Amino acid sequence: MDPSEVEFLAEKEFVKIIPNFSLDKIYLIGGDLGPFNPGLSVDVPVWLALNLKQRQKCRILPPEWMDVEKLEEMRELERKEDAFTPPPSPYYMELTKLLLNHASDNIPKADEIRTLVKDIWDTRVAKLRLSTDSFIRQQEAHAQLDNLTLMEINTIREFLLDSLNCMYKLRSNLQPGATKGQFADY
Amino acid sequence: MPCERKPMRYGHSEGHTEVCFDDTGRYIVTCGNDGDVRIWESLDDDDPKFITVGEKAYSLALKKGKLVTASSSNTVQIHTFPDGDPDGILTRFTTNATHVTFNHSGTRVAAGSSDFMVKVVEVSDSSQQKTLRGHEAPVLSVTFDPKDEYLASSSCDGSVVVWSIEEQTQVISWPLLQKTNDVSNATSLCRLAFQPAAGKFLAVPVETRVHLYERGSWDHVGSLSDELLTQPVNVASWSPCGRFLAAGAVGGLLTIWDVNSRLVVERQKHEKGFTVCSLAWHPSGSQIAYTDTEGCLGLLDGLGTSGTGTDSTKAPAAKPANDYDDLFDEDDDRLMDEGLSDANSPVKKAAEDEDDDDFLIPSTGRVRNRAAILNDENSLDTGSLKLGQDKFGDDDDDDAGSSVAPAAAQRPVYDGPVPTPPQKAFQPGSTPAHLTHRFMMWNSVGIVRGYNDEQDNAIDVEFHDTAVHHAMHLTNSLGHTMADLSQEAVLLACPSTDDLASKLQCLHFSCWDTSKEWMVDLPQGEDVKALCLGQGWAAVATSALLLRLFSVGGVQREIFSLPGPVVCLAGHGEQLLVVYHRATGFDGEQALGIQLLQFGRRKRQLMNGEPLPLSPKSYLSWAGFTAEGTPCYVDSNGLVRMLNRALGNTWTPVCNTRETCKSKSDHYWVVGAHENPQQLRCIPCKGSRYPPTLPRPAVAILPFKLPLCQTGTEKGQMEEQYWRSVLFHNHYSFLSSSGYEVDEAAQTQSDKEQQELLMKMFALSCKLEREFRCVELAELMTQNVVTLAIRYASRSRRMNLAQRLSEIALEKSTQLQEDEEPEDEPEFSRDRRFRQTEPYNTRQNEEEEQEEDEEERVEEEDGREMETEETKRRLNPFAKESGFPAKPSLTPIGRVGRSNPFKVADSGKPTSSSGQPRASNILDNMRSSRKLAPLSGSAGKPGKGPVLKPLAPRAKAKAQSTLLQISSNKTANKKTVEAAEPAADLQKQPDAAAPPAENTENKRPKTGFQLWLDENRKIIIADNPDLDETDVIKEAMGRFRTLSADERLSWTERAKGQSGDAADLKKRKRAENEAVESDESNARKKSSSLDSSSKLSAFAFSKN
Repeated sequence: MDPSEVEFLAEKEFVKIIPNFSLDKIYLIGGDLGPFNPGLSVDVPVWLALNLKQRQKCRILPPEWMDVEKLEEMRELERKEDAFTPPPSPYYMELTKLLLNHASDNIPKADEIRTLVKDIWDTRVAKLRLSTDSFIRQQEAHAQLDNLTLMEINTIREFLLDSLNCMYKLRSNLQPGATKGQFADY
Repeated sequence: MPCERKPMRYGHSEGHTEVCFDDTGRYIVTCGNDGDVRIWESLDDDDPKFITVGEKAYSLALKKGKLVTASSSNTVQIHTFPDGDPDGILTRFTTNATHVTFNHSGTRVAAGSSDFMVKVVEVSDSSQQKTLRGHEAPVLSVTFDPKDEYLASSSCDGSVVVWSIEEQTQVISWPLLQKTNDVSNATSLCRLAFQPAAGKFLAVPVETRVHLYERGSWDHVGSLSDELLTQPVNVASWSPCGRFLAAGAVGGLLTIWDVNSRLVVERQKHEKGFTVCSLAWHPSGSQIAYTDTEGCLGLLDGLGTSGTGTDSTKAPAAKPANDYDDLFDEDDDRLMDEGLSDANSPVKKAAEDEDDDDFLIPSTGRVRNRAAILNDENSLDTGSLKLGQDKFGDDDDDDAGSSVAPAAAQRPVYDGPVPTPPQKAFQPGSTPAHLTHRFMMWNSVGIVRGYNDEQDNAIDVEFHDTAVHHAMHLTNSLGHTMADLSQEAVLLACPSTDDLASKLQCLHFSCWDTSKEWMVDLPQGEDVKALCLGQGWAAVATSALLLRLFSVGGVQREIFSLPGPVVCLAGHGEQLLVVYHRATGFDGEQALGIQLLQFGRRKRQLMNGEPLPLSPKSYLSWAGFTAEGTPCYVDSNGLVRMLNRALGNTWTPVCNTRETCKSKSDHYWVVGAHENPQQLRCIPCKGSRYPPTLPRPAVAILPFKLPLCQTGTEKGQMEEQYWRSVLFHNHYSFLSSSGYEVDEAAQTQSDKEQQELLMKMFALSCKLEREFRCVELAELMTQNVVTLAIRYASRSRRMNLAQRLSEIALEKSTQLQEDEEPEDEPEFSRDRRFRQTEPYNTRQNEEEEQEEDEEERVEEEDGREMETEETKRRLNPFAKESGFPAKPSLTPIGRVGRSNPFKVADSGKPTSSSGQPRASNILDNMRSSRKLAPLSGSAGKPGKGPVLKPLAPRAKAKAQSTLLQISSNKTANKKTVEAAEPAADLQKQPDAAAPPAENTENKRPKTGFQLWLDENRKIIIADNPDLDETDVIKEAMGRFRTLSADERLSWTERAKGQSGDAADLKKRKRAENEAVESDESNARKKSSSLDSSSKLSAFAFSKN
């Protein structure tokens, strides 16, 4: 899975915008949107929000969690806990990136938020690597990791699976009685 | 000692806060965790001045225009007061200072710090410092001896130490407190206090008590305690007179003791039970300001202790004063005896000080003073009166004590209702003009912002909908203070200055020519007070009590005088709303009047200066129109009221914005209202009444809710929904009457919704066995729904109810017919559903009415084919949603096309009807079905049979079958031939009946009338020999009608006796010409209509 695919999925998340145009309900396959009243906030998917924003048709209201204080708290918690804490949003990284890239003028303290989210991300990915490491070291068959987001899983998936495969091959070679033929199966 | 606890208000963010009064008592000054020092003019000051002193402010002290604060930068700084300019740093510590205090004269400042040190610094020269070392933990609190000899401090190491300032040594140290390592961990802040003036005692809060130590000897002379005080005392503070001691405790208890009697004179509890961390006495002693650890500020007002230097006090203070006097007198005597040289004697001290420090020293127990005390009770009232005059809108007299001038206090004053200062004119949707950054207008079109600071004096206009116009930036060289914004223009106005007249400027951006701006100077001495824009016009109310109308292009239009000083204007479409001062209000109330004018083609005044209802002690805070054009306003108590045009222009409260506020000092700033969908658009403001311009506030939507009783119950809820729906759809009738387009779909939708609610309520009342209530509800229903209700009632076996409902259904249908008559004169002000029967003006109408009755009966009696024009017209309203104008249609097809509302009802009922032999005579038919009804009832189907009967007119079926017959049976049926030509309705059925012999294929039992006719034909012919056949039958009809019911019944019985095959003769309807209708038929109808409804009900239900 490509990161852009994950981002694509994140674009289905809803975000509040304040449109500066007026439009009746629009009926889409994914559901009805609107009505759009100038000056009144309305929930729309991120893809639409960004599109409207690029055409200067709306102002995006940052999601509730996208707030310096809340993110600071989360960062502290994330650092304190060994396990993964529930993420602020299942698509927090993607949304932060999308919104800050396209609508940083509508988000107060955009730079701080960017740093904070990056911090949280780094902490979590570090944890993920750490647990992968211990997983492999201890040669466990399975492990449970809660509160991972799709993007995080995605960063490690390819590498983890490949390396596990690889290690399996190496190990099966080491085992007595293992033949070349078996190896060829993989 | 009675006192009034004012509600807490938001002051600072959460955390430690401190409070003090300035020297005059005019301001309350607080500091808090947010690093701001706020200067409140009163507790209700929504826009306090603030000075930012650091990231956090730990403590403050204020004296002689110097504000000393301990901030997080580990410094103690000075700011000037009230300007707030930094005035240097007094001293520094290695960590933050915890408490700062002034000495009595204001020359020195003592500061305790977390680095265990206490410093005493000269204010004038900060290099002169004395450091007191000795504490082994952070210092909690410091206090000066009034004579500047000593200084007391408490510390987290558990000790309370008295220092000699000069020698910088400890005089005495008591281990009184629990040891902790930091101020934040201390159970109590242990704010000590020396008694002012006399300085006899040092008060030390220890656990739940306040210990008193005698100055000099440092003996523990007693403790003040209270059994209600269960948590540690945080702070102790002496009244300025030194007689009372107030203590604030963890858990929010405020206690005031009379120190001499050691009795509690007042207890108050913090409204939320938060820990009181600071309290301060007003210099007059009449108020205590306190703050809690959540950052809220509170005030106890009207403390009777005051007895300020002006010898005025409230009567209730007399009791403690009394006690005190007694004590004092004793003391006095004793001390006199003992040779009063003791410097610490309170008496002597008081006596000495009384002369030189008149303001602060209370009228202590001199008997001669007491008289004065008791005589003069009204000083506070005077205060509030004075206050009222210079301060608008704040409905309390917080500052009463402070603004009491000694002179005023002594005059005997008027003691009655106090006039309220009239509220100033304002623009709805604007924030106060004194702000440097403010909203000049926020409405449904856009936002006008005004900036007025050193660098920029400008106006920004921004539109919600960028399709209207792009944003504008204007320089505000004229100093405009008022603005309004519409889809067409921006209107700005400025007050006059010394050399410039008041100006009105209009940016008419929707103008199609090139000059998009015009400006008008008002006459000399006339100021714009309020303005508004409508569609194609602008209105300006001026200080000369004039209302000037302009066209949006700048043409001067009408001008008229206002009945009083304007409060605000609002415009929408062609409507103008003027709110003005009708009279002087009293005791905090405003007396406002309202005018509602309508321009356009028909200019008129819809509301003529009616009083505007406001909540008690509130003022108007917003007025305007909903998007649909219904006037609407909000008062300062957050109550939103909307005009109910259907109830004689009354005002209905539709929302209380305060109910949704989390905290007492939060408000909603209303920017607009919509009726469809029901939305109140407003901006939530935390801790203020209006929003700041930055960060840009977001609009929230509040739902409307009528304040009906018991909305917690299902019934209450539905009632609320119903009436709200009714109220919020009044605008349809108004709009259509003023010639606007109405969204028909939405209107029918809302009607449907209301009827559904009624039906639900009906079902609920049915379940609750409230049949009377059911009937009441049915009165509100439309005819269609009543039919449903009847079915519901009969299904649930409530025959009595169903019967009553059917009566209502009848009434309704009559009314519907009536309502259609005056179609040409729209009456938007009255809801159709509640309209009473209007008196008929013409005889024609009267006749029609009766005819209708007749028709109903005919229909319901299920066998009549007579269909007059009236019947058709009557049917129309049922066919579609009521309210369609009846168009008499002469073609049978037209009639066939109409659906019969009763059809549903009859479908389930097999007893009578299409399958039945179709008799030609109404009366006969009535009888036969009467007989059938009981049968079906007794057959054990009461749930269905009886109800449906009255509603089972065969009109439609008949019409159809008639048509069929016209096409197919023409040859066979003689009558059909006759039917081809228009004839009087009455002719037909006798025709059908009279020559039964000719009617070979449709053999039917003879009806009672036929029998009677057979017998009486000769008589009739003899009477009127020149009549032809049809006329004979007509005449016969009339005569038969005049027979008594019993006689007719007997004829019918006879008819039944003669059995006959049920021959199916379908009758056809016929296009009828009204002109043909004979007087005879009218007469017949009249006679029969009288008892039609009773017959009907008997028909339907009697046997059950």
